[in-house]
Amino acid sequence: MANDGTGQTRRDVVKMTGAAGVAGIAGLTGCLSDGGGGGGGGNNGDYPALGNFPVQGDKVTFGFNVPQSGPYASEGKDELRAYKLAVKHLNNGGGWVDNWEDLSGDGILDKQVDYVTGDTGTDSDQARKQASRMISRDNVMMISGGSSSAVAIAVQGLCQQKKVMFMACLTHSNDTTGKDCERYGFREMFNAYMTGQALAPVVTKEYGKDLKFYQLYADYSWGKTQQASMKQFFEKEGWTQVNSVATPLGTKDYNSYLSEAANSGADALFLNHYGLDGANSLKGAIQAGLDQNMEIVMPLYNRPMAQAAGGAIEGIYGTVAWDSQIDNEPSNSFTKFFGQEYNGRVPSGPAQLAYAQTLQYAAAAERAGTFYPPEVIKQLEGHEYSNLGMEQETMRKCDHQAQRAVPVVKGLPKSEQKSGKYFEIVQITSRDKLGYECGQGPAAECDLGPYK
Amino acid sequence: MSIVSQLATILLNGLQQGAIYVLVAIGLSIILGTLKFVNFAHGALYLIGTYLGLLITLTIRVSDGKLAEWGFGQVGLGWGFLPALIIVPIIVFGVGLLMERFVARPFYDRPDTDQILLTFGLAIVVQEAFKILFGGQSYNFARPARTSLGPLELQLSGPISLPVVGTIGIWRLYVIAITAVLVALVYLLIEYTDFGLVVRAGTRDAEMVRLLGVKITRPYLMVFGVGAALAGIAGVVGGTLYAVNPNIGMDVLVPSFLVVVIGGVGSIRGAVVGGILIGLTLSSLVAVAPQWSQVGIYVLAAIILLTRPQGLLGSEEVAP
Repeated sequence: MANDGTGQTRRDVVKMTGAAGVAGIAGLTGCLSDGGGGGGGGNNGDYPALGNFPVQGDKVTFGFNVPQSGPYASEGKDELRAYKLAVKHLNNGGGWVDNWEDLSGDGILDKQVDYVTGDTGTDSDQARKQASRMISRDNVMMISGGSSSAVAIAVQGLCQQKKVMFMACLTHSNDTTGKDCERYGFREMFNAYMTGQALAPVVTKEYGKDLKFYQLYADYSWGKTQQASMKQFFEKEGWTQVNSVATPLGTKDYNSYLSEAANSGADALFLNHYGLDGANSLKGAIQAGLDQNMEIVMPLYNRPMAQAAGGAIEGIYGTVAWDSQIDNEPSNSFTKFFGQEYNGRVPSGPAQLAYAQTLQYAAAAERAGTFYPPEVIKQLEGHEYSNLGMEQETMRKCDHQAQRAVPVVKGLPKSEQKSGKYFEIVQITSRDKLGYECGQGPAAECDLGPYK
Repeated sequence: MSIVSQLATILLNGLQQGAIYVLVAIGLSIILGTLKFVNFAHGALYLIGTYLGLLITLTIRVSDGKLAEWGFGQVGLGWGFLPALIIVPIIVFGVGLLMERFVARPFYDRPDTDQILLTFGLAIVVQEAFKILFGGQSYNFARPARTSLGPLELQLSGPISLPVVGTIGIWRLYVIAITAVLVALVYLLIEYTDFGLVVRAGTRDAEMVRLLGVKITRPYLMVFGVGAALAGIAGVVGGTLYAVNPNIGMDVLVPSFLVVVIGGVGSIRGAVVGGILIGLTLSSLVAVAPQWSQVGIYVLAAIILLTRPQGLLGSEEVAP
């Protein structure tokens, strides 16, 4: 159920926000009259107050804003597990923290890390409300979350206004680091454009070069850019789009949509749905026997979706954020310590993103020597790293989009599926074959906001 | 693709989508019509039916929630689908009886708002209880591909090729068939048995029935139980179509109320007509103007409420 658990009226919220604003201004004045320093704000020595900076007290608070209800709830729950683990490791050591030279395992900049959580309900308005509460009441220095690009974009915009850092978790729309990019937002996840680049060569090689395809897509920011990118890259490989149809987020019964697709004369069907919607649409397609006459492609999928769709994912191509089968040191250790913490559970791609983004922020603050957001941002911009299990990466300065590899996977048959193992990794497309220049593709529309 | 086959496809899709709503709505409608009790917890019965069906049919792996914490990583009987189809309605019938006795009955003479608050609260409690036990994750309720019923070998899942329509998932035909049989049974029960006579009389004028010496509490209990059992079966049947998670009860409730509003309170025929209309509106709008499909059913309900407030087949209240 989507609710913020407060039962307050709009008027109450407005009143509260007003009061919080007044308190904020009072705090600011106090801070300025104090000469803007005192060291208590995480080495804020020479930096003026900005957003929630300086940090008050001996704790720095993060806000984890994830869907705990709605169609992306399963993804959100796994993200939350990873966030909690990241905080634990930042405070007490363990996990990747032990191997990252920027991190001490004793909090960040001598402050212990605390966190608050929110349920976005996979709904932008609710997500903004939660983020707003985190910023004004809980004084968070950084918000992370996503699991819907509409949510991520809404929260990222708010964070820019309030000068609070946003470390995007799962958001795959081109717009997040394209036309809706923000100075205060950073994305580790790749986008729909890169999915198109990684998927089109593999799929067209497997199914042939001159197929006609039909697309169903979730009717919001992510689905729209996803649909556009599939069209762009598959048409480039010689395929032809017959039609594309938007479906509302949260649709349960895709049968009517699927019937239209089946009767369209297309040879391939793209299901640009995610989370529970993706599980339902794929399951519906297989039950209706669409896979007998058409090739089905699920451009973006993940472990909770595969689990909900069961045997329906057999032979279906797609891309995933990350998978526990990726065999390198950071990936293997993440799988291992996540499992130790959570009863043998295998982490999903969104969990890896959540953990990585929290540590990325912490490391940047340590490098900057302050929580002052513009300095942390500068540490992240252009940062080169290879410690997330996705080969060499760059957090690009011009659009805050990580330039990274993209795993292409194929669903396993039911008989070969095991706990946490649902795909076969077909290839990990390296970043050299992906991406676009600053000023091209989605980045052409990106205009990062001000630092202050 | 010819117009005829397109229409046939829309019809079949609409019937199937409407079928689940019909099963849930009949229970809602007869409880509302007979007992004048607004039951927002009806979706919870659907939810209970789905999870029970899942646990009887399959053995599932639980990796989240209290069950996993308590060491029940694998739960479920794995008896198959047909036993679920028989056992679940019996259990949910019992749950319905308990609900009537301990939740509904004390509230029969209370205002609608009290009933709504009570049952809505109960629905949330049930939903959250499932979330705590099984976690918020979605489960795949897979049916076996085939099942044997005595000498009869039935194909339960997979596609089938039909003349005119083309390929369709065979399970969708079963959903329509199961619904039709159940609706017919309930209709016969209400229209052609002594029990049904008392129920119908009670709907018209409960006080008069009581004065005639009929103990009306027992039929009321039965009505509630039957309505609950139907929601339970709907849960088993509907659960296999989509992913299973704790929110499905609430998801099915709103369209089912629309079905009652459109068809008319207390009318079984009304619920059938309402369900089919909603299903057909959804499936035909998806074919013609997909972006309007969700809005369409509410527009339909609004038009019907404006022109015929008692619903298509409902009868106008006679003031006492």
